[in-house]
Amino acid sequence: MKTDNTQETDSIKEMETEILNNIQTCINCRMCVPMCPTYEGWITQSAFGRLAAINLHLKYGLGSIEELSRLIFSCANCRRCQERCKMLSTNVTPTDTIIKTRQLLARKAQEWGRN
Amino acid sequence: MNKSLKEVVPIPHIYIRGNILEKGNMLGVAGDKAAWAKDLNLPRNAEFTFFAGCGYQFMRYVEGMMKAAASMEKIGLGMERSIGISKVFGKIGINLPSITAKVTAAGKEDTYTIILVSAARILQKLGVDIGYMYEDEPCCGSPLYYSGFLDDYIENANKNFEVFKSLGIQRLIGLIPACTASLRDYYPKYVEGYDLEVYHFIEVVAQRLKETNIKPKLKEKLTIAYHDPCQLSRYLEIVDAPREVMASIKGLELREPDPEQCKQWSTCCGGGGLEAGSPELCERLGLRRVEELLNTGANVIVSHCPACVMQLKRSTEKMKADVNVMDLVEILDEALG
Repeated sequence: MKTDNTQETDSIKEMETEILNNIQTCINCRMCVPMCPTYEGWITQSAFGRLAAINLHLKYGLGSIEELSRLIFSCANCRRCQERCKMLSTNVTPTDTIIKTRQLLARKAQEWGRN
Repeated sequence: MNKSLKEVVPIPHIYIRGNILEKGNMLGVAGDKAAWAKDLNLPRNAEFTFFAGCGYQFMRYVEGMMKAAASMEKIGLGMERSIGISKVFGKIGINLPSITAKVTAAGKEDTYTIILVSAARILQKLGVDIGYMYEDEPCCGSPLYYSGFLDDYIENANKNFEVFKSLGIQRLIGLIPACTASLRDYYPKYVEGYDLEVYHFIEVVAQRLKETNIKPKLKEKLTIAYHDPCQLSRYLEIVDAPREVMASIKGLELREPDPEQCKQWSTCCGGGGLEAGSPELCERLGLRRVEELLNTGANVIVSHCPACVMQLKRSTEKMKADVNVMDLVEILDEALG
């Protein structure tokens, strides 16, 4: 039983590393902000803001998990921001990273539910 | 510190997951999945297998359910409360969403499943040898992926690959962009030995129109604005094929919105995933997109994805705009005669 738990924790750590590594490649140009169809004036309604929130939460525990969930589930997964990053030749994949964070949160909650 | 699933994933997404895992479709609607194909006599085995997906088959139910949900919101019951109520009914053996959907969809002309029939007919007219899996067609599971249930998605993908293999299927033609992207781009990452060739309907059509001498022609002239679905333009990266098809149709005039709003920069209409968790935001996105498309001066809005078509229809109705919303399949079917 214990081995199983360690394995699952490892997979969570791997996911976190993958997410954080991807966010580190962001050059903070904010070109993705006007690209986001959900942007209505608040920076957290854009890929830049969502990635910043994910980074701060995973690295320093800032912001509640419910708030983070609300931010990442308000993304339309349309990849318009990702297209902009691709054009700028950065390696950031904001939409994929946001989806990966959803998967991370769901996996964490499912694990907590089991323990 | 420890949170439950309900606190980190919006409840509608959890509900959709349950439906896919237990009932094999997003909505949990019990019904004959293959009913649309009964008059087509499609073989089970052919060079290509047509993958119909859940979207067009169940869209009329979604329309009905969204309207029911909106009226529940008006009387003070939010989406989450309505789902809670239907779960209580579920415990005593009554499938409320199925009943609501059937009642709200009853007597209404089904404009969505007819698109599947048209699509299959178009492929046949263009000489593509297609088959259909009928009731064996599984749900590709893509909502599981976007809602965060990666483990369930992987399990479902592996199970589906077994089904495809056991039926000797090698080449798929998908119609719904999200299903096609899931089958073409995500399955190979999570299924060992995945070797199916996956094409999107419009790619095949564009290719066949080039190879054959068939010239589609409309009886009446149409001026249209085309909305590139996100899943088709940015996930599958197909932007030229629909334009080639539209250019080949005589009597069709395409008006493009601003270059920053079409092709790979197409603005999202808000249909699809956002609907479940943030209906109000989704509505605002739809209205903004319709405005962009109407600025082209076109009197018909055309798209090629069930979620986009439904969302654009709803938005134009809300704006009381005098404009028709159609799927590219409907236009092509008419032009091919």
